[in-house]
Amino acid sequence: MTQDEVFGKVVEILSKYSKSDLPADKINMETSILDDLKINSARLVDIVLDFEDVFDIEVDDDDADSVITVGDGVKLIVSKL
Amino acid sequence: MDIRFREKLSLRIQHLAGWITFPVWGSALIGIMRFGARYKVEQLHQIRKQYKQLKKSVEGPVLVCSNHLTKIDSAIINWSLVSVWTYMRSFKFFSWNLPERANFYNNFFLRTLCYLGSCVPIDRGGNREAVKKSLDKVTYLLRKGHPVTVFPEGGRSRTGRVDVEGFSYGVGRLVNKVKDCHVLCIYLRGHNQETYSGMPKRGARFHLEMTMIKPESVHAGLRATKDVAEQIVNQLALMEQAYFATCGQ
Repeated sequence: MTQDEVFGKVVEILSKYSKSDLPADKINMETSILDDLKINSARLVDIVLDFEDVFDIEVDDDDADSVITVGDGVKLIVSKL
Repeated sequence: MDIRFREKLSLRIQHLAGWITFPVWGSALIGIMRFGARYKVEQLHQIRKQYKQLKKSVEGPVLVCSNHLTKIDSAIINWSLVSVWTYMRSFKFFSWNLPERANFYNNFFLRTLCYLGSCVPIDRGGNREAVKKSLDKVTYLLRKGHPVTVFPEGGRSRTGRVDVEGFSYGVGRLVNKVKDCHVLCIYLRGHNQETYSGMPKRGARFHLEMTMIKPESVHAGLRATKDVAEQIVNQLALMEQAYFATCGQ
């Protein structure tokens, strides 16, 4: 799976949790999950669990902590595929 | 991850400073709650007896998890569980807690009181390195056998009821990191407390219920974190149902 494909799926997952009006086409690798997408930090675990289900990977607590931007999520997934 | 020697030393100094000065600030705080605000905890004697029995019945660290409706819940819990005299004799019974930095660290008086009152401030939803550092400190304290009080919902219940949907999973992570960690679930509510607030109303009478659980999960990693946090919050929700079934509003 290419990084672009992973990015597309990550944006799809994040849109379920996002409370921001930011359109999907404006989301990029630098977009902050908490600040720009206005996602509650408590929901980050749910997001990472979705990453695990969708991409069939396993992420530990410390790796999950490193996910701050969309790009962090994408890079983490790519590194586990 | 373990914390550095400097942080361990700083926690020890904080604990010692809290103990030495407890006769002043502890008595003043409890005096203000009892006589100034006229707060009353129902069946205080039985609560303390039950707490002592529950603590004796388990080996290993105990994490106190409570519902959260007012800014002084942890003070009321500490007041309810153990007597002032016991704290004076042995401050190890005084529970550490994790107040939100934005709420309590904005003036010198509160900051000092929080320091002496065994608080480890946390920036909820803030910089994750800083949050992790606070959680690492609390993990260390739990492993050393200190009681720690946390609010698994991650904030005061905005609806006035235990939030079984939007709660934080941090508590699950804490429990999973500490071997043999038991959880003392506490349901605390003033009878006239309809929803969340800063301070309870003057003259409030508090109902406190507790039960000890040992959450376990068949999963690993993040799923275990979520699973354990859910078990704790669901237990609190059950206690809330029981409260409204018997004391109802």
